[in-house]
Amino acid sequence: MRRVWSWTVVVLTALVLQSTIFAQITLGGAKPELVYLVTIILAFLEGPSSGALAGFFGGMAQDFLLNQPKGITALTLTLVGYAVGTMRQYITTPSPLLPVALVGGATTSGVLFYGIVNSLLGTSVGLFYLIRIAILSGVYNAVLTPFLFPVIRRVAEASRANRVFRL
Amino acid sequence: MALYSHPRNTRVLVVSLVMVSLLTITIDYRGGNSGPFEVAGKGALSVVGAMQSGVSHILRPIGAFFSGLAHVGSLQSENRALKQQVQQLKQQQGRTVSLERRNAELASLLKVEQSLRLEGVGASVIGYSVGNFEWSVTINRGSTSKVRTNDAVVSGDGLVGHVILVAPTTSVVQLIIDPNSAVAGRLSSSGETGLIRGQRDQDLTMDLVSADAKIFPNEQVVTSGYQGGLYPPEILIGQVSHTYQQPGGLTKEIAVRPAVDFSSLEFVFVVTGR
Repeated sequence: MRRVWSWTVVVLTALVLQSTIFAQITLGGAKPELVYLVTIILAFLEGPSSGALAGFFGGMAQDFLLNQPKGITALTLTLVGYAVGTMRQYITTPSPLLPVALVGGATTSGVLFYGIVNSLLGTSVGLFYLIRIAILSGVYNAVLTPFLFPVIRRVAEASRANRVFRL
Repeated sequence: MALYSHPRNTRVLVVSLVMVSLLTITIDYRGGNSGPFEVAGKGALSVVGAMQSGVSHILRPIGAFFSGLAHVGSLQSENRALKQQVQQLKQQQGRTVSLERRNAELASLLKVEQSLRLEGVGASVIGYSVGNFEWSVTINRGSTSKVRTNDAVVSGDGLVGHVILVAPTTSVVQLIIDPNSAVAGRLSSSGETGLIRGQRDQDLTMDLVSADAKIFPNEQVVTSGYQGGLYPPEILIGQVSHTYQQPGGLTKEIAVRPAVDFSSLEFVFVVTGR
């Protein structure tokens, strides 16, 4: 239960920061996609099923704050969380840059997927705008990863330790 | 989590989450804006709105500092341009005063009713859209201040947008630069009307203007405000920045630079009655 609460706080904080402070500090007009970042790092640390679950609920939370068909971010992030968690099991490099690269690449792919699904549902997205935003938000997320990775890892470890303690 | 540790169970989990997402998309898509998820949207807005309001109080100066840093290069040229503008405006002022007097006389002569007398509430912007594909702001007024969906929102500079979602103490305003926004506009000198659509971070476009209309550079574009329309009439939208015409086309397309600077919007006015 504590696990659910701590991740709820993390996702809400991400959404609030993204719509206030980061909406003003943009990278070439792009905001970072913090819920993507949280999902990807969590999937990286905890595996595909936690990644998919975090992606689904985080995405739903973001969807309900948008005036666009609800459920698209949830769909995108469920798949992103699952894909990153699965990929992680096959990557053995000890490089500390792995999370940065993974966050950047997965954010860009996720935003592209989101934009394509959204335009299939009739929202005008703009192809060039979509590509530019996908790349820029991926870069922005990658830049933020070194700062936010330790925070998210601490939350993950704290909630994991709680579970072990109960057993 | 031990329940889902088996790969087969993970796949079952992911497939069911995907199914739920698809179901949500379908239900919401068919329900439109007043679908069954409207209540949940309002709930989410209330919770996040309260947090945004706190955060933006503390963090606005920090954000302004960073965005100021990013624009330091352009400040110098902006300063020079503004000095020139001050000179021009001083010259114009003399003319404007006499025009104003004549205008006042004519208005009283025709007994034109003051159509710009608007009723409403002031509000501060407490947050922006969480997404990169939507242009909206959250304001700190809601249904308790008599704000309703579709109310027009203006600022001191011009038209901002209209209200799309209302919670008790917060609401969301769709900006006119959102690609889903369409405003009926009118060219101030020729009176030609056309539909003005948002183009994200580009200038707005105004189409449906007949090809033989005479358009002046930097001409002002205002809301046309037909009876029963969303926006009150004669509110400044922006200035003509460019005109395109396809050879042989029946209509002209005009680029309109919005009068409002949407990146630094702080106070707005919600028109709740006219």
